[in-house]
Amino acid sequence: MRLPPPDPQPDLRVEIGRNAKLPLTLRNPVMVASGTFGYGTEYARLIDVQRLGAIVSKGITLHPRRGNRGPRVVETPAGMLNAIGLQNVGIHKLVSDKAPVWAQWDVPVIVNIAGDSIEEFAYMADQLEGVPGISGIELNISCPNVWEGGRVVAEDAETTAAITEAVRLRTGLPLLVKISPQVADIVSVARAAEDGGADAVSLINTFVGMRIDTRTARPVLANVTGGLSGPAIFPLTLWLVYLVSQHVGVPVVGVGGVASLNDALELMLAGASAVQVGTATFVDPGTSLRILDGLREAIRSRGCASVGDLTGLAHPSRRAARAAR
Amino acid sequence: MDLFSARVVDNEEIMPSTHVLTLEAARAARSASPGQFLHIRCGDGLSPLIRRPMSIFRTDGTLLQVMIRNVGEGSSWIVRRQAGDMLDCLGPLGRGFRVSPQARNLLLVGGGYGVAPLVGLAERALARRANVSLAVGAAASELIFPASLIPEEVEYLVATDDGSAGYRGFVTDLIPERLVWADAVYACGPLAMMAALARIMRDLAPRKPAQVAMEERMGCAMGVCLGCCIESTRGPLRVCTEGPVFDIRQIVWREEAAAIGTRGPGVGGHG
Ligand SMILES: Cc1cc2nc3c(=O)[nH]c(=O)nc-3n(C[C@H](O)[C@H](O)[C@H](O)COP(=O)(O)OP(=O)(O)OC[C@H]3O[C@@H](n4cnc5c(N)ncnc54)[C@H](O)[C@@H]3O)c2cc1C
Ligand SMILES: Cc1cc2nc3c(=O)[nH]c(=O)nc-3n(C[C@H](O)[C@H](O)[C@H](O)COP(=O)(O)O)c2cc1C
Ligand code: FES
Repeated sequence: MRLPPPDPQPDLRVEIGRNAKLPLTLRNPVMVASGTFGYGTEYARLIDVQRLGAIVSKGITLHPRRGNRGPRVVETPAGMLNAIGLQNVGIHKLVSDKAPVWAQWDVPVIVNIAGDSIEEFAYMADQLEGVPGISGIELNISCPNVWEGGRVVAEDAETTAAITEAVRLRTGLPLLVKISPQVADIVSVARAAEDGGADAVSLINTFVGMRIDTRTARPVLANVTGGLSGPAIFPLTLWLVYLVSQHVGVPVVGVGGVASLNDALELMLAGASAVQVGTATFVDPGTSLRILDGLREAIRSRGCASVGDLTGLAHPSRRAARAAR
Repeated sequence: MDLFSARVVDNEEIMPSTHVLTLEAARAARSASPGQFLHIRCGDGLSPLIRRPMSIFRTDGTLLQVMIRNVGEGSSWIVRRQAGDMLDCLGPLGRGFRVSPQARNLLLVGGGYGVAPLVGLAERALARRANVSLAVGAAASELIFPASLIPEEVEYLVATDDGSAGYRGFVTDLIPERLVWADAVYACGPLAMMAALARIMRDLAPRKPAQVAMEERMGCAMGVCLGCCIESTRGPLRVCTEGPVFDIRQIVWREEAAAIGTRGPGVGGHG
């Protein structure tokens, strides 16, 4: 008797930037989020980072930044607040010191950039063009910033479109635009990114919050406010991914509170094509790879051939389509 | 440095609210050096979420000890662990004390649970026949680290705020007269104590080697989140990676930093 052939491995690949000059095919949809994985080298001592779908590097600015005074982090129920203040080595050092290391790696590295102006974003994209080891750009237009008096930079669709267009003109790399959850109309901001030429939108950056030390009656963070991340924000992320993915055509990357395989699956069913793991890595450095290993099995057991078959299955339109079949 | 699960073999309350946990952790015990720390998960759920940094207290063969002061949610979870329980640890992390082989006379200064890394340091120093003085400060006698846990060869000096044991006053008051004897000074304790020590060293012994183990709130403890940075003369440094032990002259003490910096929303942004 002949045994049936083994199930083929499900296809985990995700394409970002179908229309970019240099499209990026991720081997799998599990990435690690900017600011939670340094420049990729630090966790390499602990886990096999080469298996990740992609690494998004710490937000980089044109000039090196010293960051905020401490305390910069504080724990919250099922989460944490951070007010790092974008401490980083500056784009020139990133290109000269970090990119050569990445060029030796299998795992693609996407560089998260934060500009002070449209021109600065465009200039930074220029600096990254053609640099071996850099496989994509994620625009951090969502980090509450010194620019514009501490307001979230791209609160409005117009600025988002303008920044995205300016960078699009300068880069052939796949372009992700990372969006703040705290904008008046997130759908229009995401659409503006798409219209401006983004290849994907990353949803979401952190929520603004604070904590007060009751003994001293002072805010715990020296910066007073910080960005909330971790499992506490997961349902908020899920809802925004569910909402936005019904209104944009480009892939949505879900980020915010992902800590388990189940979280990743929920995000994909809600419309994400890929996910990023952030704060959960601090708690358990193996989180991202465990999600990846579980994902393969979960897809197979559902009878799906590829990871893309899961994306958006929870949407009413997809549910109706399935019912009709 | 590893991510490992350590079996608790003993948990002893050595003084009020302070426990020493003995862990079976062969690899970490062998590679650890005094001043390094573990990042310990407090439970397996989502709260408390972030690991807690704890100094390595002592090592002996395959055993590793931590000394935990019960001050909040995370530490109280750790001190409730019993023999047989498992503890999820990351480490050893950071850079420990650096002791020059020429240093014969070591002066150690501790406050509160800051004694923890100093005991391990004293044991290593004695093993290579150095002389060790350990000066410890506390609010009152019942909070003084028990002398029975300190090797006999160590000269143990005690200061209490209320005079209930040893010298009445700050532990740093005991330092100046011992500076001639000491080849090097190592400290761990409350920020105010270490800042006072920094002033003494600046004024009385500006060239004598002196190191301090610093504390800051941590996220990753792996050097990626930049949550634990403190001000140094070289710019911000990560306590988890460049530290926790620093040259005392590298630190910009917070009172001074406060004068330079500004405090308020939107100064530097999140992320
Ligand atoms: C390098 C290093 C070594 C340490 N070694 C020891 C040790 O050997 N023994 C010991 O008892 N304690 C030590 N501490 C302090 C210990 O980490 C805190 O007491 C502990 O994190 C408090 O957690 P909690 O949940 O009990 O308290 P909570 O007050 O509920 O903690 C709330 C949050 O604040 C953080 N936090 C509170 N106090 C501190 C602090 N002093 N330093 C850093 N983060 C803090 C916690 O980690 C947690 O994220 C060390 C700290 C550092 C940075
Ligand atoms: C310490 C820390 C630093 C961060 N730095 C950046 C950054 O530089 N650029 C950026 O776009 N997002 C940054 N983020 C946001 C994360 O990339 C992510 O969007 C957010 O934390 C939500 O995901 P999580 O809940 O999985 O952490 C940072 C988050 C943390 C916790
Ligand atoms: S705790 Fe994250 S860099 Fe030190």
